[in-house]
Amino acid sequence: MLRADKLCKAFGALQVTRDVSLDIPQGARHAIIGPNGAGKTTLFNLLAGELAPDAGAILIDDRDITHLPPNRRARLGLSRSFQKNNLFPRQSVQDNLLLADIAARGYGYRFWPRLAARKDAYGKAATIAGQIGLIDDMQRGVAELSYGAQRQLEVGLALMAEPKVLLLDEPTSGMSPEETGRMLRLIDDLPRSLTVVMIEHDMDLVFNHADRITVLNYGEVLMEGQPEEVRGSDAVQETYLGGEAE
Amino acid sequence: MAHVLQFRHALALVALAALLIFWTQAGYFGMEILAEIAVFAILAMSLDLAAGYAGLVSLGHAALFGFGAYMFALFTVLWGWPASLAVVLATLATGAIALIVGAVVTRVQGVFFIVITLAIGEMGYEFFFKNRALGGDDGLSGISRLDLSAIGVDLNDPGIFALFLIVVAAITYLLLVRLLASPYGAVLTGLHDNPGRMRALGLPVRTYQTSIFAFSGALAGFAGTLSAQHTQFITPNLLHWTTSGEVLVMVILGGLGTLVGPVIGAVVLTLLRHELSNVTDYWGFWLGFFLILIVLGGKNGIVGWLAAGWNALRGARPDDDQAADEPAEGEEASDAAR
Repeated sequence: MLRADKLCKAFGALQVTRDVSLDIPQGARHAIIGPNGAGKTTLFNLLAGELAPDAGAILIDDRDITHLPPNRRARLGLSRSFQKNNLFPRQSVQDNLLLADIAARGYGYRFWPRLAARKDAYGKAATIAGQIGLIDDMQRGVAELSYGAQRQLEVGLALMAEPKVLLLDEPTSGMSPEETGRMLRLIDDLPRSLTVVMIEHDMDLVFNHADRITVLNYGEVLMEGQPEEVRGSDAVQETYLGGEAE
Repeated sequence: MAHVLQFRHALALVALAALLIFWTQAGYFGMEILAEIAVFAILAMSLDLAAGYAGLVSLGHAALFGFGAYMFALFTVLWGWPASLAVVLATLATGAIALIVGAVVTRVQGVFFIVITLAIGEMGYEFFFKNRALGGDDGLSGISRLDLSAIGVDLNDPGIFALFLIVVAAITYLLLVRLLASPYGAVLTGLHDNPGRMRALGLPVRTYQTSIFAFSGALAGFAGTLSAQHTQFITPNLLHWTTSGEVLVMVILGGLGTLVGPVIGAVVLTLLRHELSNVTDYWGFWLGFFLILIVLGGKNGIVGWLAAGWNALRGARPDDDQAADEPAEGEEASDAAR
């Protein structure tokens, strides 16, 4: 579903991503982990289109998207959330979701029909709000929501695009333990047809929620495998777990 | 959100009623002021679309306004085309220019956007200032108005012309309300709040920014054709950045991104400019003082003050600990708005 082929990216003399290849099948729950500075965020930005790779290719559904801007990738089914909440702060939850629908389905050029007449968009917003646990907060302003609820909406916006591949950038960052639990349940409950790729700093979280894990270190793929293999790997223990002393 | 919009529409209705009542009482000079208010209301609404809704704060908007006025004068005075055709073509020509300018200026954001629009606006000013064929710094005179005698309307009567402009401004307001309720209107607020997220969600951000800049420019050009017909004499000062600044002040004074705010801003600023200058030579000083009062306090202009005052009166926001001292100052603002 999502493939990366020998991606390279350097900032000046610093090689941040080095020959990273991924092949993620449909329906996978794929986590990308690594210690601080391993190049997780850069890789994520390469996949999402915020950065252009120096070399290599990115394909979604066998279509080459290496040189497409973020908005084109989103329209092709690659949707992302942000590590720092990146919402429409003056709007209600419902309006946030509606904006996502307009952008994702590309009917923003329609300047005469009323948005209020688009029952389909309102219906979809309600469905997604139910999925992310915010159905009772539809009319509330984003600023009134708790941090955890804002994080849930962050994922909700990405889901409104009805993506083929959902990229989650540290979905539980900054959350309390209960909030983290709620977010992980939310991710577990996503439809199995959806491919989910998440970047996580906290490795313990992903062992129970990913079926495949890629470990990055110094911009390179250190290893890729199932959670038990990764957990059992000496190399991973040494560079990641040992180094972090967690 | 619905009651916010209802409140704004009610304000718009009050503003329209006030203008119409003023119209029944106005003499020749009053009619001139009303016409000026109506033209600036349309111009300020056009700037609000770009600056208040889409977040594209332009300091070159008057150049588009003046361009529309000059195109109208060129088409009618120098080329002898009928005024009705000239209004349409001057509006479209301004929109086309704004489309080209918009494609360039939306490459930059924030303060750079302000500076680049200012620079392009000044280029326009310089062009018309130096162009002898269009009258240079002497301007162009002998501009005639639309001929609506076929339907029994004589626009050369100052009172009829003022009423005509008020009606045009009201229709413009209604059309823009409709536009803002559309998916396109929602996109504008999304672009204002978070263009990066709109892009990540799949929106080609610059295309949309360019489109609203072009539409806003066309509307400014339309206001320019009305201004040319009103004064029947135009100078390059229409394009000057100080005019842009004045319109931006109208928008901010009234309330950014409220549509009715810029209308109220146009009313208040135009009235203050005429009335204060009768009372004191220091009218600019007092105007500045008034602006500071309105903008201080973190409210979104006059509309923001009125909304806060209204909410406090209804007791709709008991959780707001500022509510106690808001009504007094809010009323002060609303009194001044009359």
